[in-house]
Amino acid sequence: MDTKSLVARVLAGDQDAERELYDTNVDRVYRLIYRMVGDAEQATDYTQDTFIRTFERLATFRHESALSTWITAIAISVVYNGQRKVKRLRAREVDLEHAEPVAIPAREADPDLKRKLAAAIEALPTGYRTVFLMHDVEGYTHEEIGSALGIQEGTSKAQLSRARARLRQQLADFAGDRAS
Amino acid sequence: MMDEREDRLDELIRDAARDFNAPPVTPRAEMWEAIQARRRGAPAEIRPISRRRPLVLVFGIAALLALGVAIGRLTVPRAAPLPVPPATLSARPAAGGDTAVSSPEPAVAPARRQPAVASSGSQSLTTPASRLATGLHLTQVESFLTEFGTRPETGDYTGRARDLLTDTRLLIDSKRVEDLRIQRLLLDLELVLAQIAALSGDRREDVDLIADAVAQRHLRTRLRSVLPTGPAIRS
Repeated sequence: MDTKSLVARVLAGDQDAERELYDTNVDRVYRLIYRMVGDAEQATDYTQDTFIRTFERLATFRHESALSTWITAIAISVVYNGQRKVKRLRAREVDLEHAEPVAIPAREADPDLKRKLAAAIEALPTGYRTVFLMHDVEGYTHEEIGSALGIQEGTSKAQLSRARARLRQQLADFAGDRAS
Repeated sequence: MMDEREDRLDELIRDAARDFNAPPVTPRAEMWEAIQARRRGAPAEIRPISRRRPLVLVFGIAALLALGVAIGRLTVPRAAPLPVPPATLSARPAAGGDTAVSSPEPAVAPARRQPAVASSGSQSLTTPASRLATGLHLTQVESFLTEFGTRPETGDYTGRARDLLTDTRLLIDSKRVEDLRIQRLLLDLELVLAQIAALSGDRREDVDLIADAVAQRHLRTRLRSVLPTGPAIRS
């Protein structure tokens, strides 16, 4: 897809182009936001806010990064501004029981591990958590993460490394059980 | 051996993390309808729940902008030079030795330049009062980021960041700022202020990440390049 052409069409008022921009990006945006907030209503709300802001600010898009990355930056800003940490923590513990797995892992993680991992992820500093969710869970590259968060790729890698170290520390008990 | 153990644990964590806040199917159609409705200004089926900004605060911010307009009209005689030298807000590369290397804010291409703020010195379509309000706000943000960058552990910055973020968004949404360079600066400031506003407790790691973002986006340099030096703004 030619992004420049798509953006130009959207700015010219082409509603089909607007829908195309939305359809191309909404899944990834919604998934990331949902990972960050863990609440369907909030995720829906923030996703809508993200795209409304995207359309409002599209004229300022410089094509220096991928359009998807630019939209991701807007999404993260929306989430950061809207989140209340305590509410998230409480919502997590309930939602974990009802979470539908996206893909069935080769080895099913036991409920204790999932519970402890969820708490460990929530306890991460915001930056570590964001980088971890983007990279290890949703598959963003460090280049995309750096561009979205306004940090260097090296910083993204360092943040991820520290996040993983923290999580390993919290879940060290489970490592021994799975030694093979 | 320790590396192998760590790798196994990392793999275990990645597997388990797939279930962390696992997203359901994206409600595409519903959200699109709601987005279109909100953009048209009609009541949406899916009501936003995050718009909890108190009305008092919204009116307060609007009052700030209106105050800026009033101050501008009272302090800047129509015949006097604008409080902001036109060249300062013209679309030229930001000052600073590092901009040639890795500035995220390259010189605006001529095709994007707003004719009203060209270096000819002609007045912008944006009123002097609006530029004054913008300048006041950016001055506050610059001071805030400077203070945050030096001693973030000694103050409560989240509340101030939230206030500055609200004002930043008000400026962005008001469409008063026509200079593309300042629009982009405001958008970058929005992200950083949102990160600071989201800080909780003593999070040295998050502070370092935010400091990196401020540096990467050359925010202070860009702020200084658009801020006027006159005492009317700096006070």
